[in-house]
Amino acid sequence: MKAKKPVLELRRVTKSYPGALALDAVNFTVWESEIVGLIGENGAGKSTLMKILIGLIQPDAGQYELRGNPVTLRDPANAARHGVGMVFQEGSLVPNLSIMENLFLSHEIGFRRFGFLSRRAMRETATSVLSLVKVTSDLDTPIADTTPAVRQMVEIARLMWLSRLYRQENPVLILDEPTTVLTEGERKTLFTILTEIKRQASIILISHRLQEIVGNSDRIVILKDGRNVTEFEAEHANIAEIENRMVGHTFAAERYRENEQIEPMNEIALEVRNLSKRGVFEPITFSLRKGEIVSLVGLVGSGKEAVCGCITGLEKPDSGTISLHRKKLALGSPSETVRAGIGHIPIDRRSEGLALGMTVADNVNLLVLDKLKAAGLINPPLEKKNALRMIEECRIKTPSFSAICANLSGGNQQKTVIAKWLSSKIQLLVLDHPTRGVDVGAKEEIYRLIRNLARDGISMIIMCDTLEEDIGLCNRMLVMKDGRLVSEMSCSLARKPNPSDIIALIV
Amino acid sequence: MAEIKEEEGPSITEKRITTHRKRERIPAIYFAITLLVVMVVLFTIGNRNFLSAYNVNTITSYSAILLVVGLGQMSTILIGGIDLSVGGLMSFVSVVLVIALKTIGAWAFPLCLSVGLMAGYINGTILTRIKIPSFIATLGTGGILTSLALLVSPLPVVVPASSYGLLDIVNGTLIGMPNLLLLTLVIFIFFYVILGFTTAGRNIYYTGSNIKMSWMSGIDIRRTRNFAFMLSGLGAAIAAMMQTCSQFGGDPTMGKVYILQSIAAVVVGGTALTGGTGGAVNTLIGALILGVMENGMNVVGVDAYFQQSILGIVIIVSVALTFDRSKTAMIK
Amino acid sequence: MPNDVPSKSRINEVGWLSKSAAKAGLWIRRSGIGGQLLSLVIVTGSFAIGTSGRYLSAANLQVILRLASIPAIIATGLHQVVVLGGIDLSVEGVVALCVVFVGFLARNRFNTNDVGLWIVPITVGFGGLAGIINGLLNTKLRIPSFIITLGMSWVLWGFAVFVSKGQTIPLLKNPLSGIVNGNLLGIPDLALIAFGLIIVIQIIQDRTRFGRYLYAIGGDEVLAAQAGVKVEKIKIAVFGIAGLFYGLSALFLAIQLESAQAITGNNLLFPAVTAVAVGGVALTGGIGGAKNAALGALIVTALNDGLILLNVNPYAQEAVNGFVLVTAVALTIDRRKLGFIK
Repeated sequence: MKAKKPVLELRRVTKSYPGALALDAVNFTVWESEIVGLIGENGAGKSTLMKILIGLIQPDAGQYELRGNPVTLRDPANAARHGVGMVFQEGSLVPNLSIMENLFLSHEIGFRRFGFLSRRAMRETATSVLSLVKVTSDLDTPIADTTPAVRQMVEIARLMWLSRLYRQENPVLILDEPTTVLTEGERKTLFTILTEIKRQASIILISHRLQEIVGNSDRIVILKDGRNVTEFEAEHANIAEIENRMVGHTFAAERYRENEQIEPMNEIALEVRNLSKRGVFEPITFSLRKGEIVSLVGLVGSGKEAVCGCITGLEKPDSGTISLHRKKLALGSPSETVRAGIGHIPIDRRSEGLALGMTVADNVNLLVLDKLKAAGLINPPLEKKNALRMIEECRIKTPSFSAICANLSGGNQQKTVIAKWLSSKIQLLVLDHPTRGVDVGAKEEIYRLIRNLARDGISMIIMCDTLEEDIGLCNRMLVMKDGRLVSEMSCSLARKPNPSDIIALIV
Repeated sequence: MAEIKEEEGPSITEKRITTHRKRERIPAIYFAITLLVVMVVLFTIGNRNFLSAYNVNTITSYSAILLVVGLGQMSTILIGGIDLSVGGLMSFVSVVLVIALKTIGAWAFPLCLSVGLMAGYINGTILTRIKIPSFIATLGTGGILTSLALLVSPLPVVVPASSYGLLDIVNGTLIGMPNLLLLTLVIFIFFYVILGFTTAGRNIYYTGSNIKMSWMSGIDIRRTRNFAFMLSGLGAAIAAMMQTCSQFGGDPTMGKVYILQSIAAVVVGGTALTGGTGGAVNTLIGALILGVMENGMNVVGVDAYFQQSILGIVIIVSVALTFDRSKTAMIK
Repeated sequence: MPNDVPSKSRINEVGWLSKSAAKAGLWIRRSGIGGQLLSLVIVTGSFAIGTSGRYLSAANLQVILRLASIPAIIATGLHQVVVLGGIDLSVEGVVALCVVFVGFLARNRFNTNDVGLWIVPITVGFGGLAGIINGLLNTKLRIPSFIITLGMSWVLWGFAVFVSKGQTIPLLKNPLSGIVNGNLLGIPDLALIAFGLIIVIQIIQDRTRFGRYLYAIGGDEVLAAQAGVKVEKIKIAVFGIAGLFYGLSALFLAIQLESAQAITGNNLLFPAVTAVAVGGVALTGGIGGAKNAALGALIVTALNDGLILLNVNPYAQEAVNGFVLVTAVALTIDRRKLGFIK
């Protein structure tokens, strides 16, 4: 397999964002007819690398060569013409158009007969293109009515067809987490098809499931902290070693302010009993003590997000009860859960956590307006006082309490979200990836805040970007897999578990 | 570590969203105030009588009614919606008021207020329960209200002389100030306080700024949206009553011009159509700008219909300047 | 979302029964006129009974077709903007201005201008130009179409009244009068013209690249752009085409009324938007075609005609139309696409 020519080569590609170096002189080569597994931690630079590959962003430095020629790809449409395409996780097919219409969208010119599109010609081509990926669905089915598997296949077929249309030999397909939405059988089909496609194309495979990568790729490339760590032939790979390489260094004890970790109080704060949501997660029962930090871990689709969604009231469970300090909660209503004292730091603070166009004070005071009143009306001096107190307490770096939130940095925006919940009397806080997209300094601050919260007796459910962070922060860990709670382990200071033990449970 | 947690791959919409630039924007209200001052200065230079008591009175009376309907309109724009039914509602209230004055006397006023609140409630309910975007829902209800107005009275009706006494609530004076202006002042303060200093009013801003966040933070977004539309109904009803009283008669087509003018007053004042920014003071400035503009154009002799065109242009320009394009990737 | 999608077509697992069922369902959904045909039958049926048959007389059917023609032409233009996911509220302004220009250019007592049949391309062109301005403002300024077109409607309407000085210009007999008022085999010529236009647009929608892109943008603008569709160009073109249809309607209206005045444009928007919604063109975009718009116009006209025959107060009819509009939008809108409604 090695006697082949490289199709795609990135040389010393560097990309930095304000406050973070996403890629640091990364080299990446794809050879003809191979499947490359690309793995790395969150924040290792995989998504940045992918974005550069398909022209969504441009590198700051470095070279991008396709088939030996340097190229600059302006956008994904341009990349497709060069025979580089990506199957996006959320899909990029237009839902109301049919399979066939999506297949040829914006490239129908070849099917014109006397100015009109020839449905027959399109149908013939579509059938032959789709036979490659073994899709036998009716070509007129709107994409909205197809399964994720079919959509994925149609996208693959489209990319293959486009490369043929633009006469690009050996196209490069990037598959981002292709198996998360598939059933077991569909996964098998996918890899059978990929093996066939490999004869005329190269595939970059990105997946959480290490077995999948090891089992199906020819070569594995590992990124860590925006740098190349290593790469090797998949035949020689063993999962334990990959895990080691990915985590890289040994556990840094001080990173998560573990010295400030406290033993939770005895009093039970949250009790979840037989909570279930059909098709998403099976009945689950657990409890949190006062001041306890519990981490929920699991793959996408393990049901952990839905469990948190039910606790915060954003989703409605089918059965079960949630009680906070022995008071049963009304389910499926955020206003009820917020009133009961459950807070929520969402994963996407820009669209879910903040009123970006409003001031820091407005955001911080959102939940406590009723307490900032004098004579029945909101009192500006009290507002200011509370805002300043919270800015101080959470160390939000802002020019003033009346600065517009959109102008703060990511970390300070996140601290503003936390401040919002802190200023009201909450008992439980659900933190959904609290440090995502936040620079190192701000991460520190957020860890400090989390520790302070625990000391104040606030219980927390946390889902982190990295397993390391989970282990470092929590008192106890709940592991979910395929909608079930599979394990529960203590993460007390003395006995922090090893990441690779947990991976074994999750995957 | 790693691949255990979901990492989001590149999203297609990302490119658009990340282009959102951080920059300090000068609040639109400063532009609005500057515009107002410049216009007053220019018109005063051009016409010595511009600041005469008579002319100032003309401008303020015009602006007063516009301000009242504009304040209501603003509430719906602040949540990111719009109320195109204010015109139909004003027409309807106008004829209902005259007819009710004949039959039930002073009770006509509370009746009309409740008509306004009811119409707003229905708009809000269509929005939140049937889930139709406000611009089309209110286009529909506005059409219904207009035809109801014509059904009640196809032609303008005059207030019978026997009821003139009741009209003093608008037409009279108190300690030398016309009631019309005092009433407007009261309503302005009402809106200013409600929006700025009550939880319900603040919730309108939060909802307009980020409705998903508001929902997730426990704000009852359904009630908030309903409330905003009720405020709009209230404003339109009061404005219609003021107009009807000061003209001693109702007109089933009276409201039509106010659809455009109320939106213009709101957006010229700097309240963005995207919601969440702006306020009562903005609309006050906006209403004054339109008042001065209308008056100035009349004095200069701009054709009344051409003024409509100018108003349309003013709306488009103001929206273009204030619309927050970072909020959505798709502008439809 | 991926999980709750009905598994209609898993790879390699499609039975013929489910396949044909899916096909039948698909046809109804795709053509999307089943419900509309049914409501048309219900409307005509109930009025036929209510008027003891008078409603179904040849004369009345002819009236319905004649009355439906112009709303159908307007709706055929307007619905394309709706398919894009936008809306065009500028109908009244565009028509007003075009009618006023007809007054200037067609033969009448007040001036000596007479451009003859050139009136057709000129008026239609004016409409198209106005539409292109709408499209440019929408795409270049990035402002929602509803406010742009609302503003434009006022701009053009005010301008129309201004240039016509609010006067009515009676037109003299026009070479086109015969076409506009005539019948062919008992069918109004106007209805035939409308029918022809509807077919042309329907074919464009079904069988050309332009049509594909229209629906792709309506389905998901960002994804369409990603696939390489020139979104802005198509949008501007669609607004322009809509304008052409308004211009044509303006011409027909002026000739039909034998007078040119700006208020001819009044009260055209509401029936057109109602027709589009009733026809099943979802306000959220991507669904419905020219046949839907036309059928919608027919239903709305049939309804109003029936109400007239039943001597319902004309203002009450307007109110009925309002209810019909809101109901139709409520039934066709795709709420998943909108998220939180404002």
